[in-house]
Amino acid sequence: MVDPGDDKRLNDILDMIGCIASLDFSKELPTGSHNDMLDAIALGLNMLSEELNAQVVNREKLDEVNGKLEKFAYTTAHDLKSPLNSQSGLLQLLEMSVGNNNQEALEYITKLKLVNERMKTLVEGILAYSVAHFRDIIKEPVDWNALLLEVMEVDSVFKSADVVIVDTLPVLPFNKVAATQIVRNLLDNAIKYSDKTRCKITIGAEPFENHYQFCFSDNGPGIDPVNHEKIFGLFNQVEPSFKASSVGIGLATVKGILETAGERIWLQSKPGEGASFIFTVSKT
Amino acid sequence: MYRETQKIKFTLGPDMILRTECFPDTVMTLVDGKESTRISAEMVNDVPLPLLCDLTNVVKMSQDCRRHFSGPEHAKTFSKCALIVTNPVSRVIGNFFLGLNKPLKPTRLFTSREEGLWWLKQKEHVTDLIA
Repeated sequence: MVDPGDDKRLNDILDMIGCIASLDFSKELPTGSHNDMLDAIALGLNMLSEELNAQVVNREKLDEVNGKLEKFAYTTAHDLKSPLNSQSGLLQLLEMSVGNNNQEALEYITKLKLVNERMKTLVEGILAYSVAHFRDIIKEPVDWNALLLEVMEVDSVFKSADVVIVDTLPVLPFNKVAATQIVRNLLDNAIKYSDKTRCKITIGAEPFENHYQFCFSDNGPGIDPVNHEKIFGLFNQVEPSFKASSVGIGLATVKGILETAGERIWLQSKPGEGASFIFTVSKT
Repeated sequence: MYRETQKIKFTLGPDMILRTECFPDTVMTLVDGKESTRISAEMVNDVPLPLLCDLTNVVKMSQDCRRHFSGPEHAKTFSKCALIVTNPVSRVIGNFFLGLNKPLKPTRLFTSREEGLWWLKQKEHVTDLIA
C-alpha cells in the first residue's frame, strides 16, 4: 500500500520526467524534508533538468555564434573577390608592359599570378563552404546520373581520370546546386590526390529501405583511419597526400552540405588501398 | 584547528587531513562553496592537503557550487578528496559531482569515513590522478 503522501510525490516525479522529456526545464521538485529514496530521485531529476537546460542554452549560443562566423566568412570572402580580380588584371597588364626582354621580372610576375590564383581559389572555396551551411535546401528531382556526366563534361574529368559508373544512378529529391558541389568536390578530391599515372574512380549507389548509399571509390594513396574524421575539417589536409595546390575546403563543404540536408558522409580507407567516400541521400 | 560557518564545520587534524561536515539540512550555494574554499585555503596555508568531505547533511547543492568544487580553485587547495555519502540524497549529489562535473583533483565516493580516511592516507597512484 502506497502512502498517500508518497503517491503525490511519485506523481510529481512522473510529471517532472514528462517535462524533461518535452524539454521544459522550468519545473523543480520539492526536496529535503524526508531525505529518503524519493527525495534522492527528486533531487537527481532537479539536477538533471538544470544540467540539460544549461547544455541546451550553451548549444543555442554556440549555434548563434557559428551562424555569425559563417556569415562573416561569407562576407569577407565575397569582399575579397573584387580586389583579387583587379589584381589579376593588373598583373596581366604588368606582364604585357614588361615585355620579353626582362625575363627575371616575368618570372616574378608568373609567381605572383600563381599566388593570386591560389588566393582566388581559397576565397571561392570559403564562399562555397559558407553557402553550404546556411543555404535553405530546396529539393527537386535530381538525376544523379545525368548530373555526374554533366560535371565530368564541364570539368573535363576524362582528361585526368577513368570514371566507371556501376549501373545507373537513381533520381532522388535533392538540391541540384548542392548535389553538383558534392559530385564536383569528390571527383576533384580523387584526382587531386591521386598518386597513380592514371586516376581511376568507381561510382555506385546502393538502395536501402529509406535512402541510397552513394560510393565514390578511387585508386589513390588511401588515408590512415586516424585521419578519417580530420579530413572533413576545414583547411585540413593530411599526410602523405598533402598537396600545395589544395586549400582543404572541398570535403568540409561536402560534409556541410550533406549534414545540412540531414544526410551523412564517411570514409572507408587504408593507406595504399585507395579511398571510398560513402554518403547517404534520402529517397524522400 | 577548528572553524565553522553557518553551514559548515572545518577540522584540520594532526594527520594533516581537513575534514568538513555540514549542519543538518544544508543547501550549498556558490557563495557557500567559495567561502568554504577560502576558509579551507587559509587553514591549509595554501599547501594542498587531502579533504574528507562528509555530504551526509547536504540536501541540495547548486549547479554553480558543484562546478566550483570541481574546478581549479578547489584543486589548488586540496590534493585529493574523499566524499562521504551515507544516505540516498548525498549519494545522488556525490554521483552527479563525479559523473557530470568531473573534478580536477582525484575524488572518490565512500560510504564510511574509515574507508575514506584510509584512501586519503595512501600515496597517489596514476589511477587516482585520472579518477
